[in-house]
Parts: sequence; C-alpha cells; structure tokens
Amino acid sequence: MGVLTLGVGGLGAARDPGTVIRTHALGSCVAVLLLDPKTRSVGMAHIALPDSKINDRKAQETPGYFADTGIPALVREMSRLGCNGNGKGMIVKLVGGAKIMDPNNTFNIGKRNVLAIKKVLWAHGMGVVAEDVGGNISRTVSLDVNTGRVVISSAGRNNWSI
Amino acid sequence: MEYMTKAEWGRRNEEQRGQETMDMQEEIIAKVQEIPPLSTSAAELVTLMGNPDHELQKTVRIVECDAALTARVLQVVNSAGFGLMEPTTSIARAVSYLGEKMVLGIALDACTGSTLRRPLEGYEGKADTLWEHNLRTAIASREIAKFAREDLSGDIAFTGGLLHDIGKAIVSEFLSGFAGDIVSKIDAGDATDYVSAEHEMLGTDHSIVGYEVARRWKLASPLPEIIRFHHIPSEAEKGVRALAYAVHLGDIIAMMGGIGTGSDDMMYHLDAGFSEFIQISQREFEKIMLEVEVEFSRTRSSIFGKEDIPS
Repeated sequence: MGVLTLGVGGLGAARDPGTVIRTHALGSCVAVLLLDPKTRSVGMAHIALPDSKINDRKAQETPGYFADTGIPALVREMSRLGCNGNGKGMIVKLVGGAKIMDPNNTFNIGKRNVLAIKKVLWAHGMGVVAEDVGGNISRTVSLDVNTGRVVISSAGRNNWSI
Repeated sequence: MEYMTKAEWGRRNEEQRGQETMDMQEEIIAKVQEIPPLSTSAAELVTLMGNPDHELQKTVRIVECDAALTARVLQVVNSAGFGLMEPTTSIARAVSYLGEKMVLGIALDACTGSTLRRPLEGYEGKADTLWEHNLRTAIASREIAKFAREDLSGDIAFTGGLLHDIGKAIVSEFLSGFAGDIVSKIDAGDATDYVSAEHEMLGTDHSIVGYEVARRWKLASPLPEIIRFHHIPSEAEKGVRALAYAVHLGDIIAMMGGIGTGSDDMMYHLDAGFSEFIQISQREFEKIMLEVEVEFSRTRSSIFGKEDIPS
C-alpha cells in the first residue's frame, strides 16, 4: 500500500493492491513502465542515460540509471513478483525523453534514451505499446497497481493518461 | 494593484493591455528595490570569487568575521552528508573540506534564503525549487567551463549559475495563475519560448529583472551580464560571452536532469553559437550530467538537510 517514489536511476516493482509507483520531473530521462497482465504486477525504471559504458561503477551501484542495464534489472525485479523472467507477455509503456528547443537536436539525450531503450527491449523480444515521449515538457508519471493506469502530469498542464 | 483574472486579461483591448504592462513593469521595478540586500560577507565572497588569484585564507577570514555564517558553515560541514570522522570546530578546516564555492552557496542561502526558497507560484514550482535549480546550474556551469576554448574561471561560472535565475523570485508573483496560458501559447506557436512569452505579458522577463537585482546588489561585472544573457549568450558582449554560454549550458543540463523551476522547464532555446566558445562532445556532455547529479545530491543534503529519493 502507498506510494513508491523513484529517484533518478531508481527502479521498483509492486503487486500489492493500492500501491502507486511514481517518479518526478523526468526532463530528458525516460520512465520505462512494465505491466504484467498475468500476475497483475507493475514496474518502473527512471532511466537517465543511454549507455552504461560511460561509468561502469555507477552502472553496478544503480543499474536503473542506464538503458542497457536498467531494463534487464527491472525485468529481474518483476520476476521476483512471479512475472516471467524474460519479460515476455509484458505491456511496455514509455514516458519522458524531453528536449530543449533546438532544431539541430544537439544534446538530444531524451531521443537517445528512447532509442537505446527500444533497442534493449527489442533484444528481449519486447515492444512498446504506448508512449508519451519527446517535446519540450518535463513530465511526472505515476502507475497504479489496481488499475494499471498511467497518469502523466506537468506544471501548467492538465493531467493525461496513456 | 489588483491582479487580473485570466478572463479579464483576455477581454482587454491592446491599448489597455499596453497600459497594464507599463503599470506592471513599474511594479516589478519597485519590487526589485524591495529585495533584501546581500549580507556584507556574501558580497565580499562574491567579489573574492571574481578574482581567480585570491587566497583561501581570505575566504576563511570573511567567514570568521560573520558569527551567523560561522555557525552555519560548521553545521553544514558536520552534517551527515560530509561524513567527517570527527566533528570540526575549525573554520579553516571547514572551508577546506567544503570548498569555497560551497561556502559561497551557504552565505547566499543565509541572506537570500527567504527570497529564493519561496514557492515559485507563477511557474507552479514548489518551495526550494529555485534554490535547487540555481545550485544544480552552478555545479554544471563550473563543469562546462572546463571545456571552454579559452581560459575560463570556473568560480565565476559557478557564481553566475547560483544567481542566474534570481529574477524569477520577483516575476513569479506577476505570472501567478498564468502558467497554463503561457504553456498553451508556446505549444500553439504563438510565443517562441518562455522568455519571450514573459516579455510579451510583462514587458520584461526574468533575465532582465535578474540583471536589475544584480545591479542593486552592486555585483561586479560579468555577473550582471551573465544573468542578463543566460538565455541569449550570443547577444552578450564578447568579453563575457564565453561565461554566459557556460551558464546557458549549465542551465540546460539542470533542466534536462529534471531540476528546473516548474512550468518553464525545457521551454527555452539552445543558443547554437556555443560551439565557438565551448568545445564539448555528446559523450562529455552526458558525463557532466552524471557528475553534476552526484555532486548536487551530496551538496543538497548538506545545505538543505534533504535526503535524496532512493534510487
């Protein structure tokens, strides 16, 4: 029961009814959300950068920080709740990956994050069913175990769902 | 002045709006004059940081002459975030452990805290949002300065970052209730970015107001200019342009990392001219994002006593 709040690089899974997983102010970071219809479990990772080669130590300490280490770690976390350990059958949603206003897309880490995440997901045989990514919006996202509902909020806007 | 509702704002004709904007500009200027002055020690530290050849001993002396600052510095250095084996009562040791930039941050917090820690209602930002964004920008700006094509002072980039959005503390009040309208306007392409939307509505914007605050505080050049041009560094005078670019990129790194000030997050342009002054690759930029986050978390928990959300 309650709210499980994830920081940058955080990941978590839950199946207790009434639990909500939330992460704030994604900026260029991307939240990967997994929903397992079979066990009615959900999981989330707040991924900051695409590639763990940039800092091996950080990847070991906080695997959720990077796309290539975060997704396998999230699937492992979900498997502890009885989900399939290879991620098969899970519903995947992505939120975040915003960018600063720049027609040249310099430093578009948000886009690089999304691409790296999709690459890792494909390697696991998983595909994204819904996404709210890109744009000039810093998003906060929450995922409800009871309903599987994904609610996105951002200052100056009404909440929306995917 | 009575503030308009959104519906009232929409009904005004252009002439009335022009008058309203002028009135608002006058009110904003009056608010700048009301902002509390910097403490003597904070002002001295800012000046000292502007001199790249200064001695550490001078920082120690400034802190020692301010009893309240001495107490706060010792409190921070002995906090759990710094993990000293034994508590210290020596200011010289505390300054050496914390670093001068951190001491400057503590001094500015002590005298501007009430202004910088208030919620930014106009941006729908929570309490401490502005301080945290400024701190994150300061750390990032100092790191970016290392990649400058010319020799650039990391100390000045840090101080510039720490103060770059000070104008938001004032304009926020005048934008209260309008964050949604501004965001919609930008989404619809009716304003190019958040600064221009502020300017259209208020006749001024947070970077201009911040420049006026810096002048009221008698901050030495290039700090007022860094504040003024942190969104448009290409328009700064050549002598301060590289520093303005360092803070410009530091600000962007802070927003990308999710530490912005609210409704305006990510709604600013990257000034493409940065590469003339800052030589940085995508990979180096990502490394800085990671390093900045680590240092920010440690500093925040020491200054604000806030623990990070567990990863």
